[in-house]
This record gives sequence, C-alpha cells and structure tokens, in this order.
Amino acid sequence: MTDPRALRLEGVAKRFGDGAGAIQAVAPCDVAIARGTTTALVGPSGCGKSTLLRMIAGLEAPTDGGILFGGETPDTLRRRAGLAMAFQDAALLPWLRLRGNVALGRKLARRVPDAAADDALIRLVGLAGFERRRPAELSGGMRQRAAIARALAGDPDLLLLDEPFGAVDELTRERLNAELAPLWDARGTTTLLVTHSVIEAVRLSDRVLVFSPRPARVVADIAVPLARPRHSSAALADLCEAVRAALRG
Amino acid sequence: MTPTTPIRREALTPTRREALVLGAAALLTPRLARAATPATLQLSWLHSVQFAGSYIAQSRGYWGDAGLDVTLLPGGPNAPVEPPVVAGTALVGISAADYTAAAVNQGAPFRIIGVAMQKNPFAIASLAANPVADPRDLIGRRIGMALANMPVLEALCALNDVDIAGIEVVPTQYDAAPLVQGQVDCLLCWATDLPVAMRMQGIDSTVMLLADHGYAVHSQTYIATQDSLANRRADLVALMKGEIRGWGDYHAGPEAAANLTVQMFPDAGLDLETQKLQAERQVPLMFSDLTDAQGFGWFTDDTVAANIETLALLGKPVSADLWDRSILEEVYGAG
Amino acid sequence: MIRMPRVVVWAALLLGWEVFARLTADGFVIAAPTEIAQYVWRNTGLLWRATGVTGWVALQGFVWGNLAGVMLALAAVLIPRAERGLLTLALLAFCLPLVATGPILRVLYGPGQGPQVTLAALSVVYTTFLSVLVGLRAVPQSWLDLARSYGRGPVTLLALVRLPAALPYLVAGLQIAAPAAFLGAMVGEFTGAERGLGVLTVRALRGLDLPATWAVALLAAALSMAAFAGIGALGRRLSLAPPEILLAAPDDARGRAGASIQGIAAVAVALAVWQGAMDAFDLPRFFARRPGDVWDYLVTAPEAGAHRANLLAALGETLTVALPGYGAGLLLGAGLAALLTLAPPLAALVLPVSVALRSIPIIATAPLIVWALGRGAAGSITVVAVMIFFPTLVACLHGLARAPRPLMDLFDSYDAGPLRRLWGVQLPAMLPAFFASARMAVPAAILAVTTAEWLATGRGIGALMATVASTSDYAMLWSAIAVIGLAALATHAGVAALERAVLRRTSPEQLAG
Ligand SMILES: Nc1ncnc2c1ncn2[C@@H]1O[C@H](COP(=O)(O)OP(=O)(O)OP(=O)(O)O)[C@@H](O)[C@H]1O
Ligand SMILES: [Mg+2]
Repeated sequence: MTDPRALRLEGVAKRFGDGAGAIQAVAPCDVAIARGTTTALVGPSGCGKSTLLRMIAGLEAPTDGGILFGGETPDTLRRRAGLAMAFQDAALLPWLRLRGNVALGRKLARRVPDAAADDALIRLVGLAGFERRRPAELSGGMRQRAAIARALAGDPDLLLLDEPFGAVDELTRERLNAELAPLWDARGTTTLLVTHSVIEAVRLSDRVLVFSPRPARVVADIAVPLARPRHSSAALADLCEAVRAALRG
Repeated sequence: MTPTTPIRREALTPTRREALVLGAAALLTPRLARAATPATLQLSWLHSVQFAGSYIAQSRGYWGDAGLDVTLLPGGPNAPVEPPVVAGTALVGISAADYTAAAVNQGAPFRIIGVAMQKNPFAIASLAANPVADPRDLIGRRIGMALANMPVLEALCALNDVDIAGIEVVPTQYDAAPLVQGQVDCLLCWATDLPVAMRMQGIDSTVMLLADHGYAVHSQTYIATQDSLANRRADLVALMKGEIRGWGDYHAGPEAAANLTVQMFPDAGLDLETQKLQAERQVPLMFSDLTDAQGFGWFTDDTVAANIETLALLGKPVSADLWDRSILEEVYGAG
Repeated sequence: MIRMPRVVVWAALLLGWEVFARLTADGFVIAAPTEIAQYVWRNTGLLWRATGVTGWVALQGFVWGNLAGVMLALAAVLIPRAERGLLTLALLAFCLPLVATGPILRVLYGPGQGPQVTLAALSVVYTTFLSVLVGLRAVPQSWLDLARSYGRGPVTLLALVRLPAALPYLVAGLQIAAPAAFLGAMVGEFTGAERGLGVLTVRALRGLDLPATWAVALLAAALSMAAFAGIGALGRRLSLAPPEILLAAPDDARGRAGASIQGIAAVAVALAVWQGAMDAFDLPRFFARRPGDVWDYLVTAPEAGAHRANLLAALGETLTVALPGYGAGLLLGAGLAALLTLAPPLAALVLPVSVALRSIPIIATAPLIVWALGRGAAGSITVVAVMIFFPTLVACLHGLARAPRPLMDLFDSYDAGPLRRLWGVQLPAMLPAFFASARMAVPAAILAVTTAEWLATGRGIGALMATVASTSDYAMLWSAIAVIGLAALATHAGVAALERAVLRRTSPEQLAG
C-alpha cells in the first residue's frame, strides 16, 4: 500500500457551491490503488462517483485533500497525456466520423497517427463497418463503445471509464468485458471503472469499492482474487452478493 | 503638344460624332499628357454637367497646356469638400461661400479664389398649379427642406420682411417626391436639379430663385488653403486657367458640354436630355454682365460686400479677407 | 382544394403590383413592373457595369470584414480577459456614422475604392464577431472536458472542438453579413464615387426616376438574396452536425465589480485608439477632432453648458424613438422566426422581403415608408424596426434550428404539438442567438434612428449631425459621436446584464470563460 507508483487519494473531498445551497458530493476519502490494477467503483446514482473520477482526471479541483498517481498530480499527468477518460455521455464530436473520433484520442494525446491501430480498436469494440458513420447515425451503446475506443487510442497509463457500458446490451457487454480486460491487463494500464452492474464490477476488476449515498464515502473495499478469464462460478456469485450487501448498507 | 490640340481649335458643335471624339479624347488625354504637376480638384457632387467646364478643360488638355495633371474627385451625399482641401488631398475644392464661411469660422484656413456661380442656385420650387412666386407667398405654406438649411430660410425671410412663423417647415429628404405627393407645397432646392427632374417627368414647376430676392451668396466657389496660396501659386493659377478656358467653351455651347459629360461618364447613369436642360439652366447663374466684362469666375468688392451682408444674416460673419482675387488677377493679367 | 400553379400566383402578384403602381402613379413612390423592365432593358450595360463595381467592392469588404470578425471572436475566446475590450471596440466602430467616417476615409485613401471597401467591411465585423462568438461557446461541457482530460490547452480546444462547433453559427453570421456588405458598399459610394449602384441610386432619387430607383433596389436585393441563399446552401452542403444538448455547469464566479472595471478599461482603450489613430495618420484637427477636443467642447469651453444642453436634448429625442424601434425590431425578428418555424412555407415569402429590406439603402426605402406611414413616430419607429429586424430574424432562425434533437423527440413522443415544442424546446434553444442579435441590434438601432431623423423627422441627433456636418462644426459632430457611443455602450451593457440573468439558467455554456 506504500507503492509510490500507486494512485493515492488523501482526504479528497468535494463540495459544490457554498453557504446554505452547498452540496457535499464527496466526503473526505482516502484510497490507494495499485498500479496496473482494475478497480470498479459502485454506488447509488448521484452519490458522487463521476465527481470523484473527474477529480482524478484533474477536471475538477477537490475542495480538500490531494491526488497523486505515481507521484504526479492529475494536472501533470493530464499534460503529458498520461490519462484518458470515457465519459458517461460518450462526448463524441458530431461533425467527425467514427474513425475521426477514435483518431482524435490519439491526436489529443499527441501520439503519431496510426490508422491501422485505430481500425483495430474499432474492430475490438465491435464497430467494424461503421468507420465512416457519424455519431448521430450510431446507437447509444455504439457511441459508448466508440468512446472507449477513443480512450484506448491514446494508450494511457490511467484509464477512467464512467459507466462505459451503460447502454450496451448484456451479451455485447460480456463480450467486451472478456476482450477489454486482457487488453488493459496486458498494457499495464491502471483502470478505474464506474459501473452500476455488480456482476460487471466483479467480473472485470481486481477490487471493488462500494460507495455510500451522497456524500460518497467508501463503505466497502472488496478484493476480487479470481483468475481470468472469469466464468460464472460460486466464488464469483459470493463476491457479487457481498457487493450487493454493501450497497444495501 | 497633345493630340487633342486640333479639336481644341474647332468651334464647339453639338454633333453626336464630335461628342464621341471628345469622349475618346477624354479617355486618352491623361495617359498621353506630358509629365506635369499632379493636382486634385475636389468636386462638390457626383459627376454631372454641373462641372462640365472642368471636363472640357480636362478633355481638351487645357490643364496639360498649363503644365498641370488634374485629377477630378467626385463628391457625393457624404463627401464634404472641406476636409480633403484642409488635409491637402485636394489642391482646390468646389464649395460655396456659406459653407466656406462656416468652415473658416471653425478654423479652416480657406480663401475663395474664384466664383463659378455668380447667382446662388438656391430656389423655392412649387407646382405650377400652386405657385410660390414671391417670398410673401410662403406664408401659410408648407415648405420641405433639410433642417440644416433653416438659416437660408431665415435669411430669405429677413431680407423680404416675411414672418417666418407663418411658414410650416417640414423636414424632408432632398428629392422632389414630397412635393409631387402633396406632402409639402414647396421645396427649398437648387434651381438646377429637382425642378429639372420634375420637368423631365412632365411636371411643371414654378422656380423662385433666392438670388432674385436679395440672397447674395456666391456658389460653386473655388477654395484653396492659405498654405497653397503661398506655396503652390503657380499650380493654382494653372488650375484656374484651365477652368476659365473650359467654362468659356461651355458658355459657347452648353449642349455640347452636356454631350461631353455623358460621354465622359458613361457609368454615372446620366440622362442626356436632363443634362442638356440642366446645362442650359445653369448658364444664367454662372455668366452675367460682370463675367462678360471681367471674365469667368470674377468677383468685385461690391459682390463680396453683398455676400458679407447675407452671410451675416445666415449667422456666418466673415470679413472680405475670405476672398482672394490675386489668382484670378494673375490669370487674366497674363492674358 | 385546387392548387394554383406557381406561375399563376406570380402572374397575379405582378399584375396586382402593376395595377397598384399605375393607380398611385401621381405619388411617385411605386414603379410598375413594366416600367422597371423597360428601364432594365434600356440600361442593361450600365446596370451590369455598376453591379460589377459594387459587387466587387462588397465582396472585398465581405471577406475582410468577416475575417476581422472571426479573428476578434477567436481572440475573445482565447483571451477571455480581452473580450470586453474587443467587444467595446467592435461596437464603437459599428456605431461610427457615415458623416464622420466618410470624409476621414476619403482623405486617408484619396480617390478609388478604399473607403467603399472599408465601409462594407465595417458593416459586417460586429455581427460576425457576435455570431461566431456564440458559436465558439456553444459547446457542451463534456467536449471541453475531453480536450482538458488530455491536458490540451485553449488552442487545441479551439482548433479541434470550438471551431467546428461554431461553423453553423458562422454560416448564420455570413448570411447576415451578405446584404450588409452590399449595403455598405453602396452607401460607401456616397463618399464620392464615379460609378456603382449607390451612385445610380442617388442619381435616380434626385432625378425622380422611379423605374431606375426600383430597378437598382431590386438588383441589390436580388444579389443579396442570391448570396444569402448561396451561403445557406453551402451550410447545408457541409451537412453541419445536428446539435447536442448543451449542458454546462453554472458559473457564477465572475463578479460584477470585475466586469465594470473591464468596461472602464475598454472605454479607455477606445479613447486611446481614437486619439492614436488620428495622430498616426496625422489627420487635421479641423475635421478629425480628438477626445480632448470633445472634452473641451463639452466641459471646459465657456459655452460648454449650451453645447451640452443642445446635445443632450437631441439625444433625448433620439432615444425616445430608438428604444421603441429597437423593441419593435427585436420582436418582429424573433416573432417572424417563430412564425417561420411553425409555418415553414412562409419562408419563401418572408426571407426574400427581409433580405431586400436589409440590402437597399434606407434613402431609397425611407420615402416609401414615409409615404405610407407619415413623418410621425410610427414612420420613424418602422424605419428602425425595418433596419434591425433582419439580423434578429436570421440569428433566431438558426437558433431555433439548434434545438437539441433528443429534446425535440421527447416532446414529439408526447405528441406535444408545434406550439408547445416551440415554447418548451426551441425558444430556450434560441435564446443565446436571440441575445446575440439583441446586442447586434443596439448600434444598428442607433444608426437607423439617426438616419430616419436625417431623412424624415429632422429631429434628434441624426438631424443635429447632418446640420453640423454641413457647417463644418466638427467639434459638435465628434461630441455627438462620443455621446452616441456611450449610449450604445450603456444600452449594450443593459442588454448584456439581462442576457446573463437569463442565460445563466438556460445556456450556462455561453457565460463560461
Ligand atoms: N457542477 C456541479 N455543481 C453542483 N452540483 C453538482 C455538480 N456536479 C455534480 N453535482 C452534484 O454532486 C452529486 C454527485 O454527482 P455525480 O455526477 O458525481 O454522481 P454519480 O455518482 O456519478 O451519479 P450517477 O451514477 O447517477 O452518474 C450530485 O448530487 C450532483 O447533483
Ligand atoms: Mg455519474
């Protein structure tokens, strides 16, 4: 837990506004996440998960506490394109075609263009054949998959996924889970994944953090010591039940 | 010697073929002229027969003969003459004594060096069926005019003992439509433009020239700065020489001058018949016994005194120093 | 219902026009189509050449002016601190009346087309600036976050996100600019030109030559309409992306005190530019009065009190017409935009007329309005409304079209009906564009009133400026310009405050950064 390369949140808290109308979105929170692992964040809607992720990405300044990833602040990390985030609403640029949107991830990360790699990512997320479509011509789930491809295109050290599969059907989700997890395992990417699906959290991650209703605080920290690929098993079911229990409070 | 010389010697005859030749000459002359001092003459309005004397001077090389290469700068609704002359963009501007007086009172260093219109062209135009033939006829009438010209109306009333309170002033745009539409009974305008336009549209109008009722203000005056008078005398003399020759030819044949104008400015949208009528109507304003005796552009101490009186009524007090006859004297003295 | 063929409708309209023109021939206001056709037939060459000249000037002014407008908008987004200063300068430049700029430009450029091009350019800078600025800001928070999450700065954000997002707004800006540039080129010819449609207009009006007046006006209108339609078609060809829901976090960090300090700084910059430009070009004081001269004239001179009283009385008269005219113009523009959204076929009629009114010089349309409505307040207010409603109409139409698709679908799914949809989705989506046009309309309304006063009512600052310009009273002229500028800035600040109050709730992305 003292690995200097880890992602460390120390007393991180966030309050929106001030005075009577203030909203405490994230309670002071201390977490350390080992490098190269995948961590799932689960919690009730509106509890502050996205806010936490945005703070880690440096998009929102914490009102308290500090964040370090491998000794770097989110801002330095951002500046060297060390992180990538897939947003809850996909945030694809409507005037770019799918290929352009994926290439944008590489471009924004200042990596050399690599059309073949982009196409491989598009295939990976199951969108082959749609390269020349614009976002408006894609379904909600297809857009989310495109957003994941874009996030991967920049080859980040820290990958922040905010409900990336929210609109994806169960079967595709499972297939994506099966294909994406090895990918970021192999790259050594540190991944944070916000999800509302308990089974997905357990299947994909090395560790599940369960948050309380707002203001978010960690109420359970559940390790997932299962080998991959993870097929349905009694151990998996037990872990899911543990997470559900924590969610129920 | 420029190629226009042979034409110059000929009498001015108003044939169409002549005019065409003149027009062609006008296009060629500036390019073929010898190296000459450049000078700009700022006109007070869009190109029209109003400045035909200048066009004749240019097309026949009168300025070239005098060693001057003159550019004619057209005016327009938003192109006051005074600024370019003050700034030195133009050597000479075509103004009027009242405008010049106002500018001088605002600190402009102008002198009037010649007078093209001995009689002021301001007039009151009315429909022939409802005529205003005398200043007293204005009582009880609606007059359309730019409010900027209020002093003119006031001066006219003062000169003719008319109570201005009895006149209804309607601020109008400068065109004849309000009169023909019956929005007003008469218009304050130039005798040489709106009445001519109405005539061309088949509308008879009565034109009462203010100059015939005591309004003595030199118009279409040549103005230059004191600095030019001191340092560019020769150019001023040359420019006025060309003007005087040009207007002399104009006097001999106003119709040919109208033809030339239309030929020289085919893009100005000029109507030949309108230009002819205007050319004819401005002759009595520009040429008089005085000019017959002394030459075009001349002014005397008496006419200046009369101007000073009217200008005082207009609220633009000036002294006789505003007029400087030395350039004209040099032109006519040299023959 | 029997549908009449289009040709029949047009023929009937033309016939009606012809008959009406013949019936009112004594009034010399409306030319009959046959007379116009005859004039065009006889003067084809003349019209062709004049169109070439004015069109070329308008095109150059269009290019330069829009370029300047876009650059200003980019600068304002990249350097948010500079926004207020840039806005103030652009606003003041737009307020400069022709009586002041005409002679200065003529002296600066000498003979030639410089002044015309400059005036055409000046007449589009401000509107394009505002349109593009709105577009550059019409970006959802998540796109900004996307670029920021890669640590990319404002320049990348601009190039990859904001600029493409602003394209539809640029199209709107260019559509507004097309007739304005044409009008600017024509009016520019009033500063002394040898040829062009503006010259022909003046000539025709003075000559009581109705067919010529109408022919030139229709020509100017037709060309502007062609440009308007062409730019619109180009915009559609670019298949500009359907809009997103623009959700941005509210930002109330910026205090009012900061804003007013910026405003004062902007005025100081404007004064410095005024003084500096005149000094740099060594313009004679006689007609190019400096800020100090105006201060003397209005404050320290012995008769300063009288000067002030004179000027303020005129300003008061002007504002009593300008404000209702401003309101009427905005309502007309926004109302027509809503109407066209509810009944799109009407666009075929409304848009051409609107473009025409925007591209024909007011000296040509004012006689018609005065003839129809008289010289009273109704006439002047109409002149103002007619001159300013067009940018509002175009901006609002584009704004209405920016209504987010999912929200439209939501309302449709409840079968809400066009009126509810208009009220619930489209009008809120239109608000940023509406406020941008309300800001554009401030200087436009002032210019319109001064023109109406000069042409029709003979009251107020417009008449005062015409009078003092004709008597070389340039101290009063520049004082009037300064006062007009201040009035425009004050009105603009008022509109901007209202805008902030409303957009804070409906479109917070417009207020960020
Ligand atoms: N910019 C903001 N200003 C004010 N309050 C905010 C802001 N952003 C989020 N909040 C509030 O913070 C709380 C947490 O929001 P957040 O988006 O982090 O929730 P979440 O856990 O991601 O929920 P969901 O699972 O529904 O996405 C919410 O109550 C929300 O209203
Ligand atoms: Mg969330």
